[in-house]
Amino acid sequence: MENYTPTIITGEQQQDDEIFAKIPAFDADGQAGHVTLPSGDGSVIIMELLQRFKVRDVMKRTVISVSRGTKMREAQRIMRENRISGLPVSEEGRLFGIVSVNDIINALDNGWIDEPCENHMASSLVVLEAGMPLAYALRYFNNYTYGRFPVLDSSRKLVGIISQRDVMRALLYELSVEIRKLERKAARGTNAGPEHASGENYFRKEFAVVHNDLGSAGRAANEIKQILKERKIDRSIARRVAVAAYELEINICIHSHGGILTFILADDKITIRAKDRGPGIPDIEWACRDGTSTANDWIRSMGFGAGMGLSNSKRVSDEFDIKSEVGKFTQVTCVFSLSAKQE
Amino acid sequence: MTIADVVKVLNGKLMAGDAASPRVVGAVVANDLMSDVLLFDADDALLLTSLASDQAIRTAHIVGAMGVVVHNAKPLSETMIKVANDLHIPLVSSPLSKYDACVKMHDALEMENRA
Repeated sequence: MENYTPTIITGEQQQDDEIFAKIPAFDADGQAGHVTLPSGDGSVIIMELLQRFKVRDVMKRTVISVSRGTKMREAQRIMRENRISGLPVSEEGRLFGIVSVNDIINALDNGWIDEPCENHMASSLVVLEAGMPLAYALRYFNNYTYGRFPVLDSSRKLVGIISQRDVMRALLYELSVEIRKLERKAARGTNAGPEHASGENYFRKEFAVVHNDLGSAGRAANEIKQILKERKIDRSIARRVAVAAYELEINICIHSHGGILTFILADDKITIRAKDRGPGIPDIEWACRDGTSTANDWIRSMGFGAGMGLSNSKRVSDEFDIKSEVGKFTQVTCVFSLSAKQE
Repeated sequence: MTIADVVKVLNGKLMAGDAASPRVVGAVVANDLMSDVLLFDADDALLLTSLASDQAIRTAHIVGAMGVVVHNAKPLSETMIKVANDLHIPLVSSPLSKYDACVKMHDALEMENRA
């Protein structure tokens, strides 16, 4: 058993379908309930949380585990005393398998409760990686029936374990923080700043933009274009707004760690704001120049990355503002005046 | 020249959108760089591109293009076709090279102008 290696499945390099085709047919204790993930039209706050939070932020870092030679009876005692239904088998951070309640029941039934764990543990494992967004973990809980997943770091070392309860607890906590913020904002009412100016035609919508999801990038801009058309905004203004929205949406997608694109329609102006979390821009003047880009070949193969995003957005806007802090965020605001052309 | 005429001129095949769309070609833009296309300021443009991705369709929608032609008979993904149908952008696949497609479009538009 010295060279024994478990089959470990993560979703990073594989399509979901491929993963599901490989679902190991072993114990399915800890019946998972179904959580429906918000679609592209879901709450921006929740979408954002699920992307911003990584598995490592939510997992339990103290992992109770046993070694391969531990007897099944000892594993049963540890599980009972700690009230856990799955026990990783690992040595010096290397994960070999998991012993579940079902394995214990089978061991009792078949009389191998005094044999070592390595003989009867599940060794075909589905694991999560610490850096995966929480959205991934939720998807795993939906698609597999396991109640928990071991978490590995990038060097394949066992660093934690995550259960549905951990996800629920973290989400509820963060949601209460976000909702409290919204309540405070609502209580402040109209004093919340100029962008909350009301008006007959006032309309505001936020779109969550996910890092590297070029399949969906552009959806927000297309929807904004549609809204402008329905509201009969002057065609050339609508086009300029949509161009800025599109370029900024692509920027968030390819350069940041994800962010929010906000569209605000007021009586006299339209505002597009792109705020992302991410690496920030060290030299804004350089970044706004035509033809300067940090994009890679993959982005170029999608028809972007020629270094025209920021300069294009600036070119089409009536007012343009950019703020950035390295290591933290970039926020770009484009304003389009409606007063001149609308009448 | 409508999208149905474009299909004929470029020996193409309509892969998405309405074959009977009444919109006519207002201008032609041949480009693979979407940021360039976004700056092209003409209504009802026909976009000729080798970029066989959703982004070509989304860009066409943003600039109010009347159709998209992907040349060299590049294979078009199902999602690209779906996005084109969702956004009502006629999508044509043509076996011609970009250069030949441009020449054919130029000649056809000249003929139309003269008539």
